[in-house]
Amino acid sequence: MSTQEATFAASANGKPIVVLKGIHKSYQRGKEPVNVLNGLNLEVPEGSFEALMGPSGSGKSTLLNLIAGLDKPTTGTVSVAGVDLGAMSDAELAKWRSRTIGFIFQAYNLIPVLSAIENVELPLLLTHLSRADRRKRAETALKIVGLADRMHHNPRQLSGGQEQRVAIARSIVNDPQIIVADEPTGDLDRESADEILQLLDRLSKEFKKTIFMVTHDPAAAQHASLVRRLDKGALQ
Amino acid sequence: MNLGVLASRSLVRNRARTVLTALGVAVAVLTFVLLRTVLVSWTASVDAAVQDRIATRHKVTFVMTLPKHYAQDIGKIPGLGPSTYSNWFGAKDPNDENEFFATIAVDPVSFLEVYDEILVTPEDRKRWLENRRGALVGDMLAKKKGWKVGDVITLTGTIYPGDWQFEIAGLYTATRKSVDRSTLWFHWDYLNDALSDSRKDQIGWISTRVRDPSRAADISKAIDTTFDEMEVPTLTMSERAMNSSFLASFSAILTALDVVSMVILGIMTLILGNTIAMGTRERTGEFGIMRAIGFRPRHIAIIVLAEGLIIAALGGGLGLVIAYPFVEQGLGRWLEENMGGFFPFFDIAPETSAMALGLACVLGLFAAILPARRAARLNAIDAIRRIA
Amino acid sequence: MIPISYNVRSLAVRKATTVATALGIGLVVFVLASALMLAHGVQKTMGKSGQPENAIVMRKGSDSEMQSTIEDPLVGIILSASGVAQDASGKPVGTAEVVSVATMDKFGTDGVSNVQFRGVRDDVMSFRPEVSIIEGRMLSPGTDEVIVGKQVRGRFRGLDIGQSVDLRKNRPVRVVGVFAANGSSFESEVWGDLDTIRAGFGRMGNVSSVRVRLESPSKLDGFEAAVEQDKQLGLEVLREDVYYEKQSEGTSVFITAMGMVIAVFFSIGAMIGAMITMYAAVAGRTREIGTLRALGFSRFAILASFLLEASLLAVVGGVVGSLAALAMGAVKFSMMNFTSFSEITFSFTPTPEIVIGSVVFAILMGLLGGLFPAVRAARVSPVQAMRAG
Repeated sequence: MSTQEATFAASANGKPIVVLKGIHKSYQRGKEPVNVLNGLNLEVPEGSFEALMGPSGSGKSTLLNLIAGLDKPTTGTVSVAGVDLGAMSDAELAKWRSRTIGFIFQAYNLIPVLSAIENVELPLLLTHLSRADRRKRAETALKIVGLADRMHHNPRQLSGGQEQRVAIARSIVNDPQIIVADEPTGDLDRESADEILQLLDRLSKEFKKTIFMVTHDPAAAQHASLVRRLDKGALQ
Repeated sequence: MNLGVLASRSLVRNRARTVLTALGVAVAVLTFVLLRTVLVSWTASVDAAVQDRIATRHKVTFVMTLPKHYAQDIGKIPGLGPSTYSNWFGAKDPNDENEFFATIAVDPVSFLEVYDEILVTPEDRKRWLENRRGALVGDMLAKKKGWKVGDVITLTGTIYPGDWQFEIAGLYTATRKSVDRSTLWFHWDYLNDALSDSRKDQIGWISTRVRDPSRAADISKAIDTTFDEMEVPTLTMSERAMNSSFLASFSAILTALDVVSMVILGIMTLILGNTIAMGTRERTGEFGIMRAIGFRPRHIAIIVLAEGLIIAALGGGLGLVIAYPFVEQGLGRWLEENMGGFFPFFDIAPETSAMALGLACVLGLFAAILPARRAARLNAIDAIRRIA
Repeated sequence: MIPISYNVRSLAVRKATTVATALGIGLVVFVLASALMLAHGVQKTMGKSGQPENAIVMRKGSDSEMQSTIEDPLVGIILSASGVAQDASGKPVGTAEVVSVATMDKFGTDGVSNVQFRGVRDDVMSFRPEVSIIEGRMLSPGTDEVIVGKQVRGRFRGLDIGQSVDLRKNRPVRVVGVFAANGSSFESEVWGDLDTIRAGFGRMGNVSSVRVRLESPSKLDGFEAAVEQDKQLGLEVLREDVYYEKQSEGTSVFITAMGMVIAVFFSIGAMIGAMITMYAAVAGRTREIGTLRALGFSRFAILASFLLEASLLAVVGGVVGSLAALAMGAVKFSMMNFTSFSEITFSFTPTPEIVIGSVVFAILMGLLGGLFPAVRAARVSPVQAMRAG
């Protein structure tokens, strides 16, 4: 990788970067509380590429949201990158997320009215970087995903696979420690899905990013170094 | 690239809706400007009325007359400048019964002295003064009726019945915009000579200049006190006071127009609010992802508020762009010519434009508040869940 | 045809948008209906002042009573002309009156306004049976007493029971009663003894008008011929209700014109609002429309359905606006009547035509605003809709 690209590499030393202890999560649906996660414990070592699979409604996305700092457990502790998320306010969590987490969703990742490079630049608006620096970082990120030649295209002009690649570029532009991906290949055909997974591979091996991926796709799971199964709120 | 850019690009995305909304705002602003200009123009007579001229008329009712010698007697009151007397004639053009223009009998020399805002060329002035049945006509009235200097016209009297002939001796314009240019003035003597003894030597009102405008109220009282001792009591007021009390009798209409101009702003706000709300409802997913990435609720709110402001400003600007030619070229000129008594000048005041644009922007922000709050409050998970 | 319930439910689902758009149309209807109601109120108030079996005689060429002068000797001649009804004792039923305006201080604004004064004979109450004293008592003939109409009572300085106003210097007239006159313009007047008022306004020896009760409305022509035939007298005759109609014409036409012009401008805004809403509705339901077409509904059915939806939306707004305008019935509106130069109090008077017409106007706005979106909906093909998703 180039020196620029190296700025995106993490140092992986195998220590757990995500520690969840005694996690219970329940929602109030009408009269009955619904327990989504029951007494769950999880440790994710730094630098690993992990997949989480399970039937619909098993709580996969909920678990992902806890790791990403988007949600808080009903009881239990969540510690990510050495920080206790339970102690943080919404404002602090937002700031933390912008620095620590990179997001890839199944669909609607990109803002339709912004070009590819502007979409990638979006997380950097929350930093104090100058306009020129923002542009440079975004370009580099796009180069990494191989879409530098389409940087001024709108999402409408990109294929599904290309859109997801831009989403990946956006997810690394703020140099996060963890990338969370919620069904990143869910809407894609086989060929595009493979492209995406290869990119994630590269991020994991070359750039040493910790990747936590929720997926239905067994082929996607194969790229992961560890596959967990979640069923009825507990890890298998 | 920043939040503002996001807002404006989002507006471009649904171009038809943005354009329609801007058009709606434009129509509202145009109507608002028209209504306010009507109000401003109508009440302008009060603001423009001079402070240094007072009018003396019968105390009880303007329908009754004063004895002519009052016009000389008034000269005894200290602090007064030149003075003149007039009678409302109230004639009509027999060819057009429904048309209205003012016809007034005056003493020409003192009249021009007291009303020095009336501009007459020296030739026209001479011609008028020398011709007993001469008439001095406003240029707008002359243009409308097709009258030229030298024409002999016949008018039907109402208060003083019969057919009266006049010769157009000259045209007048004015130094100030607010002066009505559709009046016909003629010699008082011409009228008086034709009257029977019972109606002779009566004047309608006296107009006098005061040397010190700040003393106008005191001097008016002094005049009324003096005439109170004589056969007919008087009421003296400054021109400004007179105009403002004339307007008071229309206070209900003015209030109604005020209310109506607020209603149009209400309609405009509804259109804006509706459009913004529709736009934000469609973008919950987008906003959700931005929240996930780390944007705060206030960032989302800023985007929505900015959209409201931008459409409002665009529509407001468009409305003004349409309003100016519409009023300056079309409506304004028509009103000045045909209803010059009410609207001697009909122009859009800069304050009105600024007010319209300012209100549009404020209401654009206001209309966006509820949608902005709703969009900002939605937490990331709910927003994203809606798209999955 | 697509059932109406489809449209009703679609409107109910988009509650906020439906309410906002309907409200916009409602506001326009409110303004228009109020203006029309006021114009009608003007006509009614003035109209109630005149009866078809009465005739009014004024100087030829007068626009109103106030500008007319009839010398006293002529009064007897007019009253004895053919066609005039007679009472039990053989006296002609008629009266002569003097009308003028006085400037009075108006409470509530810091200005003055003109109030109409009428000098009446002692037979005025029998000539006008619709007038009644509602407070205090009737004025005594030949005195300085006056009675005030209920619309001016208390609104001007000196016009309340026990108070007085100066007409002549040191010759005040005292208010001893308040009268009602069936909602006519008389209620905005002050009535005093004929001679007292004449003296107060310096009009000794003449009156403004003479009114007579005709034997029957059909006797008008005969009476008119008898009075107008002598050109020297220079008089003209009008049926009393026709006279009052003309009095109100200028003002009511002015209000109607203003109301309509404003409503046109406003309606453009409201129609644009309806257009935006309906375009959004069509865009959001492309799939639904495609399904309907696939099921066999024709383009016309789709067009009609969306036009109907726009109309429903508009009807809701129209009804709300009309109801709000009806509420204005409680508001009194006083303004200068142009022809008499005096202030008259009017009210917002509804008629079935105004209410129905306003709702129809609302529907028109809905139809016009919804036309283009409905056409777009009709153009949706089933295939295109499936792709839209």
